[in-house]
Amino acid sequence: MRLTLQALISHGRVARKMGLGPESRINMLRNILTGLVRHERIETTQARADEVRFYAEKLVDYAKKGDTDEKAMKMANFWLTEKDLIPKLFKVLAPRFENQSNGYTRMARLPNRQNLDRAKMAVLEYKGNPFPPLYPVKKENELSLINQLLKGYREERAQQLADKA
Amino acid sequence: RSVMAACAKGLDRCILSLRLLRNVKLQHERFLSTSLCHLAAGNSSQQPPKFIPPSKPVIVDKTQKVASLRKFLSPEFIPPRQRTDPVKFSMERKDMVRRRKVLNIPEFYAGSILAVTMADPCASGKTNRFVGICIQRGGKGLGATFILRNIIDGQGIEICYDLYSPRIQTIEVLKLEKRLDDNLMYLRDALPEYSTVDLGMKPVPFSPTGEVPVNKLKVKMRPKPWSKRWERPKFNIQGIRFDLSLTPEKMEHAQKWAQPWQEYDMLKEYDTSTLEEQILSEVQREMSK
Repeated sequence: MRLTLQALISHGRVARKMGLGPESRINMLRNILTGLVRHERIETTQARADEVRFYAEKLVDYAKKGDTDEKAMKMANFWLTEKDLIPKLFKVLAPRFENQSNGYTRMARLPNRQNLDRAKMAVLEYKGNPFPPLYPVKKENELSLINQLLKGYREERAQQLADKA
Repeated sequence: RSVMAACAKGLDRCILSLRLLRNVKLQHERFLSTSLCHLAAGNSSQQPPKFIPPSKPVIVDKTQKVASLRKFLSPEFIPPRQRTDPVKFSMERKDMVRRRKVLNIPEFYAGSILAVTMADPCASGKTNRFVGICIQRGGKGLGATFILRNIIDGQGIEICYDLYSPRIQTIEVLKLEKRLDDNLMYLRDALPEYSTVDLGMKPVPFSPTGEVPVNKLKVKMRPKPWSKRWERPKFNIQGIRFDLSLTPEKMEHAQKWAQPWQEYDMLKEYDTSTLEEQILSEVQREMSK
């Protein structure tokens, strides 16, 4: 007789199940986080990106505490498997987000993967990265006919106002 | 009787023994002094010696008069990490402060020895008193509980009391101390001497300022099997002498269940420092009103 429904009910569970178990989940997230810190923009499945987002922001919060803080160094040492990224975290990423208190990452959806699984993909990046923006700003063409006419109209109005005054 | 026997042997021996007995604290001092005076007056031909009253006992009041001056917030005030409205917690805190103004709930930790008197319709005198070690403090808000453990007549007894129950009349801390763990459930599998508390124990005085004393006692266990596998790292118990009951191979085997990534998992962290300070100032303000 099953007396507990613990396995079936997930009230208040925040962590998704990924991989082979809790250890595998943490290892996978560690690898993705290391890749994110190295390249500052990565594309993965939507679920993994969503999980890593939380850990990425918390890691930056720890990095802000400083190089000398023991706990921060332990966390950075654990989460970044490639150890040449630890100085990058403390010296590049932490000063970049000095004035912000949250929201260091941006996530955007991508078209589904072309493989058989058609998995939902997403792009995850740290704000302030050197790449061109994910949502490119469309610049209107100044030399089109309508824009030129509008420009002339605005100049005439400005001249009329200046003559009246 | 011993005085009479001594006097029957000789006069000076009688006076010597009287002097010695006068220095020793005896129960029936009044009886002794009158008999001394009688015998001394009867036997000696000199004037009767001046009556020296026995020294009065010095009464030291060891009960806790002054409230604790430590900055202590009871753990049931801190709300758990949930998606509920904070209004619920603030309303609960108001009710908790109202109850605390009527009944003084002192500061105590797991490992301190408490005495609780509760209203009981079936007991003679309508109250019953239980003394024991606090092994666990659980629950949040008004449903906060603590479990007292004691061994009476060879039978282990644990009673779980509600802190804010209207049946509770007094809670006294007989001995304030902390132990190496927050949860002393392993005392069920420990030797009974570690859970026995004298029912007529007198309160041990403790200072209202300064650090709470930590009792670094390591408890000896009964032979296995235990109710829970206390050697496993998930319980993280510091207060058991494992070297007496487990071989090093078994300790290493228990480490197989260790989850070293858990201490680095940021999702599981719940930082309560700012919340604690807020709630502490709020509660202190309400209590002083």
